[in-house]
Amino acid sequence: MFHWLERNPFFFALSVFITISFAGLIEIVPSFAQASRPLVGTTPYSTLELAGRHVYIKNSCNACHSQLIRPFKSETDRYGHYSMSGEYAYDRPFLWGSKRTGPDLMRVGNYRTTDWHETHMKDPAAVVPGSIMPKYTWLYENETDVETAYAEQLTIAQFFSTPYNKAIPMKDGTNKIIKMGDSIAEANALALEEAKVIVADMKDQNIKDAVESGKIPEIVAIIAYMNSLK
Amino acid sequence: MNKIYLWGIIVAVTMLTITYMSVIGSKGGLNGDIVNMFAIGGAVALVVIIVFVIIKFVRQMQVDTADGELSDDNWDGIGEYYNAIPKGWAIMYLATMVYAMWYFVIGYPVNSYSQIGEYNEDVAAHNKKFEKKYASITGERLVDMGESVFLAECKVCHGLAADGIDGSAADLNVRLEFRTVKDVVINGSNNFLLGSENPMPDRYGLMNANKDYAPITDAEIDAVSTYVANGMSGEGGDVFAGACSVCHGDDGAGMVYVAPNIAAYDITLVTNVLNHGKKGSIGAMPAFDRLNAKQKEAVSAYIISLSKGE
Repeated sequence: MFHWLERNPFFFALSVFITISFAGLIEIVPSFAQASRPLVGTTPYSTLELAGRHVYIKNSCNACHSQLIRPFKSETDRYGHYSMSGEYAYDRPFLWGSKRTGPDLMRVGNYRTTDWHETHMKDPAAVVPGSIMPKYTWLYENETDVETAYAEQLTIAQFFSTPYNKAIPMKDGTNKIIKMGDSIAEANALALEEAKVIVADMKDQNIKDAVESGKIPEIVAIIAYMNSLK
Repeated sequence: MNKIYLWGIIVAVTMLTITYMSVIGSKGGLNGDIVNMFAIGGAVALVVIIVFVIIKFVRQMQVDTADGELSDDNWDGIGEYYNAIPKGWAIMYLATMVYAMWYFVIGYPVNSYSQIGEYNEDVAAHNKKFEKKYASITGERLVDMGESVFLAECKVCHGLAADGIDGSAADLNVRLEFRTVKDVVINGSNNFLLGSENPMPDRYGLMNANKDYAPITDAEIDAVSTYVANGMSGEGGDVFAGACSVCHGDDGAGMVYVAPNIAAYDITLVTNVLNHGKKGSIGAMPAFDRLNAKQKEAVSAYIISLSKGE
């Protein structure tokens, strides 16, 4: 067989390719599977958080803000513990960012609060003098697209076995359950429930009224997403 | 003398002459530079060694006769002597084996590069330097350090002037604002200000001792809030004495394990807020426990200096 291969360059190249691919497969795939497994304490996004993530992507926040803390002292001082691959297990797509025009947001939920985001997103320069971040006023008017978030939840639960409605072990030994609705109506209700927790800390009366009447402005969703980044 | 030695000398002299003419004899020469001297010394040594090594082997081919014990193997009339392996080779071979074992077991695993390892070393080195340089600073320098930490971590909410940016965070130029005191008196609080859970009761748990322990009234709440927000002066002192001083002390300086200082900022108070965060009438403040102990002390010193109006 080897003599035959040596006389046929095309099939020789093909067999080299197959051999190397196979070696790569058994070397790379197991370690990749190990590294992409979620860390203990990493949970999938809830309905409202996922909707907020869509708002984040829609407004291209990742064009200026990265979500990747490198293991350098100067970075961990500013942003917290360096990122680990397992923390991105439920990020589809990951939002590492293309460059840092603004600060990293990997763990922004640890050091910024709901009401800070609320005033900041309305007029960043008023909160941080000299900030070049534009005003995101439309977030206060547009309504959140919960249905797309729910569709994504259904998809990833089915195709990637994302553990919704299942007990997920946390660092302190307890279990946490991230709920996903059985229907769109239920998903909407869950999102609204989460939104109510967020708006309790907000000041804008229009936003509070909107949530009271069953609508979720985008700002609430994106704050829910920001707060989940820890 | 064999002709070959003559040729060797002629070639060596020619090469050395060319070297001399092109380098030492030319303009600038060796320029007194030690590196040039080494290079030229090396060139001379090379010429001499090459010439005489070649001569040695050529002579060997000319005069050497074979001796020793032939091995039994014979390839078309070409035989092979039994020769012991040269000592140098044997030593190098064994040394390579030892090195390989060391590298496999210790060398690679212990010394291999790790990004996280480098990061940990960086942090350790930085902490050591920090400790050496700043562990014992006090007074003005501590306040300066506090200001730089404040500008990096705190100003985004509390503002450059530490005034809380129109009420979105606490105004740190005063110990307490009217609205904060009023909210705490009405709703109580539990903010780990003493480092442990020491809840303060809400308004239904506050009695005025000066009025036969009657529950505190709306008017009294306003009065005592004004009094505390004024820096423990003005009207409302009698309500404070009746309802608050039993825990917070007559002068509002607080009591260890019982109640925090509400007359002025102190290190314990600021450190505890940084450690545990805070949630009150204004909003939530996240914990900043990633600051080290000295930085927390420095922030306290800076905030104390602010409220004194310095």
